[in-house]
Amino acid sequence: MRAPTTSTPTTTPTTSASASSSSSASAERAASGGKAPAPRTPASDRSADGTPKLRRDRLSRHNLAGWLYSTPFLAFFLTFMAFPIAATLLMSFTDFGLRNVTNPMDAEFIGLENYTKLFQDELFLKALFNTAYFVVLGVPLTIGSGLFAAVLLNSGIERFRTFFRVGFYAPVVTAIVAVAVVWKFVLDPSEGLIAGLARELGFTAPDFLGSEALAMPSLIVMAVWRNMGTAMVLFLAGLQAIPTEVREAARVDGAGAFQEFRKITVPLLTPTMLYVAVMTTIGFLNVFEEPFVMTDGGPSDSTLTVSLYMYREGFDFFHMGYASSMAYTLFVIILAVTLLQLRLLKDRTK
Amino acid sequence: MSRTAMSRTTLTATALVLSLGLTACGGGDEKQVSADAKQTLTVWAMGEEGNRVAEIAKTFNKEHPGITVKVTPVGWDVAHQKLVSAAAADQLPDMAQLGSTWVGEFIELGALEPVDTEVFEEKDFFPAAWQGNEKDGEVYGVPWYVDTRVLYYRTDLAKKAGVQGEPKTWADQLKLAEGYKKLDSTKWAFSLPAGGDGAWQNWLPYLFQAGGTLVDKDGRPTLDSPESVKALTEYAKYFDKGLARGTRPTPGYDVIKDFGADKVPMFASGPWMVQNIEDQVPKVADQYETVPLPSGAKQGNIIGGASLVTFAGSEHKAAAQEFTKFLTDAKTQAKWYEMAKSLPANQNAWNEPQLKKADVEDFKASLDAAQAIPPIAKWEEIAHQIDLTLEKLAKGGDPAKLAAELQKNAESLVS
Repeated sequence: MRAPTTSTPTTTPTTSASASSSSSASAERAASGGKAPAPRTPASDRSADGTPKLRRDRLSRHNLAGWLYSTPFLAFFLTFMAFPIAATLLMSFTDFGLRNVTNPMDAEFIGLENYTKLFQDELFLKALFNTAYFVVLGVPLTIGSGLFAAVLLNSGIERFRTFFRVGFYAPVVTAIVAVAVVWKFVLDPSEGLIAGLARELGFTAPDFLGSEALAMPSLIVMAVWRNMGTAMVLFLAGLQAIPTEVREAARVDGAGAFQEFRKITVPLLTPTMLYVAVMTTIGFLNVFEEPFVMTDGGPSDSTLTVSLYMYREGFDFFHMGYASSMAYTLFVIILAVTLLQLRLLKDRTK
Repeated sequence: MSRTAMSRTTLTATALVLSLGLTACGGGDEKQVSADAKQTLTVWAMGEEGNRVAEIAKTFNKEHPGITVKVTPVGWDVAHQKLVSAAAADQLPDMAQLGSTWVGEFIELGALEPVDTEVFEEKDFFPAAWQGNEKDGEVYGVPWYVDTRVLYYRTDLAKKAGVQGEPKTWADQLKLAEGYKKLDSTKWAFSLPAGGDGAWQNWLPYLFQAGGTLVDKDGRPTLDSPESVKALTEYAKYFDKGLARGTRPTPGYDVIKDFGADKVPMFASGPWMVQNIEDQVPKVADQYETVPLPSGAKQGNIIGGASLVTFAGSEHKAAAQEFTKFLTDAKTQAKWYEMAKSLPANQNAWNEPQLKKADVEDFKASLDAAQAIPPIAKWEEIAHQIDLTLEKLAKGGDPAKLAAELQKNAESLVS
């Protein structure tokens, strides 16, 4: 199959290479020394202003408008993102502390000391463990419950569909402080909803947030409840993109509901799944608000997460150098996990 | 979870950017404006005070018509970070109210202007409040208002439990708690935090009552002293005997509802609780008593409150001194007590009619017995270490071992 004539020169070879397995495409490429051949198409003959020149200087007057349009973004990005990110990296190699807040230039370079200290810091290792615990349990539960809700809403429930959609999505858009008030009431060991129910049934409810063993699971349940709405909405969109013919074909071939789910729905949802998994994992690795408002890291640091520890070191004690090294460690972990996911959840249906 | 690690990193670094950019152009100028000149004095004040200072500043204006006092109220919860950020950006106001335990940190930052001890005299103020502002022979803040802890306990329930008399000693308090425990309505006999943010405020009185100190004369921590172990042991008794909740309270727990509902009949807290009980659980307003914290080897207490500081970068130091003089004057302080119910730091104010007629005797006695928390640059971190120690203590940790561990951690923070 040849590429359509409207394609621009740069996209043509890739399209043709991937679309056809014929040897002619690769031969063509080999002949041009690995470089893309530029087929003469009407679009490439002359550029917008009629000059025959193919490649233009990127900073020419022609592009000036584009640069002007992006200036507000660039200015913001450079001032509030790029520069601070670079500054934090530098800071993570210094002993930047409280007294440097007024004299930043006095901070001394200490090489990798912050990083070596980090991995001997029992509290940081505990925070790492807690974060991993939160992610390993929380992410699959969020994805699972989001997918379950989406499948039910997509096919099972006819009535009140909008009502349920709103219901599941409402926690996502609710402010964390309001959520915290409600959940504290639910989990309260003396006056809480669960405690009250348990009393009616003759049990005693445990002190969820006061127990080292139960505090983290409680936060995980709360986080799953808060985040499944996002997963559900994305999965719903993904489900609606699966063509009905495929499903019909499966049914004609005698597939039951479960087989259809396993062999059709899940594989065709892989791109959505990848996106949901990556975004949820990044969010969960950064977990901060739940322990911050519910437990403040306790009891006995059993809900202290990396982000919360970073916040405490950075803004309570102003150990900015140390906190920066934590930020970069977390960043590297997130990057590694994301790359791993991109590899594992590659779309294999194409 | 919408705030990502990077955005927090960004916050951190933005603070640095600001400091890099702005410290370069600030400072170095000695353009002091005299007190008589027409000028605007900027003041940051926190909490309830922040809402009311502007009111009292009107009286000040009668004497100093040239000085316009511009008050910015700042919430206590964000005040600390705002002040440090402002110090970094050289954007501090002329003066501010500083929480008593923050002074050490701002001395370390070099942000405070020493107080003229010819104008403000130590003998006028509660010694513990004054000493909290003193480092290496210089004084950096003038105590404005003070607070301290007293014991609140339900008298009706004490009677029901058959315990008589006011708790005056550690033993009395323990006996009262054991009495309360026998009542069916009681959930926890005493509200004593098992760690968590600010738990140190509840333990320090025990340390002082045992005769202990935080640091010795050279500023070296003394948290493994026999007195410290004694204080930890006493504190632990309430958890060992099931008299206090052994897990730390969830953030934002307020004892007042449980106090009103007979569930927690005893707690130690500051003067503001009197008003809160009246507002929130009026039905028990006549059923309780406040007494000075029971004594161990001696009377002891902590002193809280706030000091007025002038920042080193201010160009209106003379005006700031006038305003500080006005706010810490005995007459203004007595009037201020009526307005904001803040206990005066100036001892002479306690002889004014407004305080004479108020029932504040217990607080006066406690303030006289209070000891200072010296201005330590890393006090917040030491306090956090104490919080962690108390958490371990409540879980059955050995007081002597915990004291040794606390000492080690504290030593590494005081250099």
